[in-house]
Amino acid sequence: MTHYAHSRKSPATWTAVAILLAMAILGTLWIPLYARSAPKLGPFPFFYWFQLIWVPLSAVLCRICYLLLRVRPDGPAKTGRRQLLCISTTSRSSSS
Amino acid sequence: MHIDNIPFLIVVTAFVLVTYIGFAAARWRPAEDPMRLSEWGLGGRRFGTFVSWFLVGGDIYTAYTFIAVPALIYATGAAGFYALSYTIMVFPIVFIFAPRLWSVARARGYVSPGEFVRGRHGSQGLGLAVAATGILATMPYIALQLVGIESVLTVMGIGSTSDNVFVRDLPLIIAFGVTSAYTYLAGLRALALIAFVKDALIYLTVIVAILYIPARLGGWGHVFDVASAHLKTVNPATGKRYGSLIVMPAGEWSYATLALGSALALFMYPHAATGVFAASRRDVIRRNAAMLPAYTLVLGLIALFGYLARAVPAVNADVKADGGNSQLSVPLLFEHMFPGWFAGIGYSAIIIGALVPAAVMSIAAANLFTRTIYRELVRPYATPAQETRVARLVSLLMKVGALAFALELNRTFSINLQLLGGIWIVQTFPAVVIGLYTRWFHRYALITGWAVAMTYGTVEAYRTSGGGQAHFGGSAAPVFGHVTYIAITALILNVAVSTLFTPLFRAAGVQDGYDETRPSDYLADPHPASIPRPRLADPATNLPASHAARHRAARTPARSPRSSHRSGPPH
Repeated sequence: MTHYAHSRKSPATWTAVAILLAMAILGTLWIPLYARSAPKLGPFPFFYWFQLIWVPLSAVLCRICYLLLRVRPDGPAKTGRRQLLCISTTSRSSSS
Repeated sequence: MHIDNIPFLIVVTAFVLVTYIGFAAARWRPAEDPMRLSEWGLGGRRFGTFVSWFLVGGDIYTAYTFIAVPALIYATGAAGFYALSYTIMVFPIVFIFAPRLWSVARARGYVSPGEFVRGRHGSQGLGLAVAATGILATMPYIALQLVGIESVLTVMGIGSTSDNVFVRDLPLIIAFGVTSAYTYLAGLRALALIAFVKDALIYLTVIVAILYIPARLGGWGHVFDVASAHLKTVNPATGKRYGSLIVMPAGEWSYATLALGSALALFMYPHAATGVFAASRRDVIRRNAAMLPAYTLVLGLIALFGYLARAVPAVNADVKADGGNSQLSVPLLFEHMFPGWFAGIGYSAIIIGALVPAAVMSIAAANLFTRTIYRELVRPYATPAQETRVARLVSLLMKVGALAFALELNRTFSINLQLLGGIWIVQTFPAVVIGLYTRWFHRYALITGWAVAMTYGTVEAYRTSGGGQAHFGGSAAPVFGHVTYIAITALILNVAVSTLFTPLFRAAGVQDGYDETRPSDYLADPHPASIPRPRLADPATNLPASHAARHRAARTPARSPRSSHRSGPPH
């Protein structure tokens, strides 16, 4: 028995995800945004600390998208493992 | 004891420990049937967030991270920092398409991108093209790992005294041989376990280095000053400046295309795809995409080692003494800055950090060969045990090939090996990633686009000189006045040709391929306990299931061969 990641998400959710991911990708792709040395963060020129800061920032953006898109197989999850167990039991009985 | 022996002893100890783990891994989470290819080649598809994280992170941060990128920054400054930009944007990109790829692979039992392409576009030729591209592009990437290991061995003073190539590279060959042995036995399991050790060593080394070395050198301010002063001087070989501390407007285009091209390429490589396929659940991939940037941060810090090395006069002197081989800058930095025992830990981190990905890459290439070439062309009804035997053998052959390649290679800019692989592998992007979303493209149009782009990319790369080489000396070439990563130019050409030829083939009445996948496959999220077994013989026809599906589908095309399964909503 196979479960499916239903795309029950609203268009608003998809739009939000698209914008967040586009930000994560374009943030360092648009070079003129950060190809400068000022303002410095301590000794680090802007070019370097901007990109280093984008690392955790893009992780946060991906994390938000993951939470937005997360699908629970059957409504709101109880404790995950227990729920998976009952799914596998029911699936076995229904497919036999 | 002589002081030079300490790093050597530590490296040997680490290697022995890792080897022990590798052989012991055969008994970790033992398989019901170890001779099934998804057991050997995908660790039974049972890796959750934690193990997948180490595995995917482990096999994309490699000698590329430790040797090639810092070497580029050591030599040219900001231009090499594109690697950070690349590893920042790769995870959002993966986040978008990898769950669909995982689902369809799970639903259909695919273990490689080539298999997916064959099934999706109904074209054996296209599947073969993707598989062959994957194998070809993996070779220079494995060779890059060997160059990385070798640069550590050179700095350690091991084996570089003899003129005989075989004797000189004996330690490299031994290390590689032992790794191949446990990879052969335990497959991906061994490497997933070793990835823990490798990562522990890497994080330890990087954290200590980033806290300790700048303080010894007089702070980051001094480091950037030295680097800036060096980059402003004129390189007598080219008559231009060495580089700059900030990307200049003229360099922006190549910086952006190198980053984007590398990011698009990464998950087309069979080994990165393996990390995706081996995940136990669909969710794991997206969750990991949000966690893997921890590796990116490490990459960014290691990249800055290039500047640290530049600020140590002894490193500059030693690099110059070795004919300007900037590949040595990071191992030399460890040698001159760390006490012997910690230099040993740093060397071990680099060596194991190159051996593990090299082995994962060879497994992935072996999966690809077995499923897409061996089973399609040589032995269509191969049993799972036969498949696994062939895959093991091919994983050995890949390593031997890469070894031969690396022993005879020009090593000035090893990053170019990875970039060359990227030019080739990214040409599978339309068939794989665009194919996940649409079948608008005609199969022969995709093949045509691929062929044109591969030819163009190879010829352009061949014509590019640099680093003292007349051919294959660089990976970016000017297009319309902008220096562009050849992979991107070729990819645009690829998509354009495919788009142009699709209506032509349709107009000429050339038949479309049969798509064996269903829309619901792309959203499938099977529970780990109920892994479908499409490779089991189909009782009705006594053929392997995917063949049976195709045969049955040919008889009753309207009916899904998997109609017994609950079908998901159309997407």
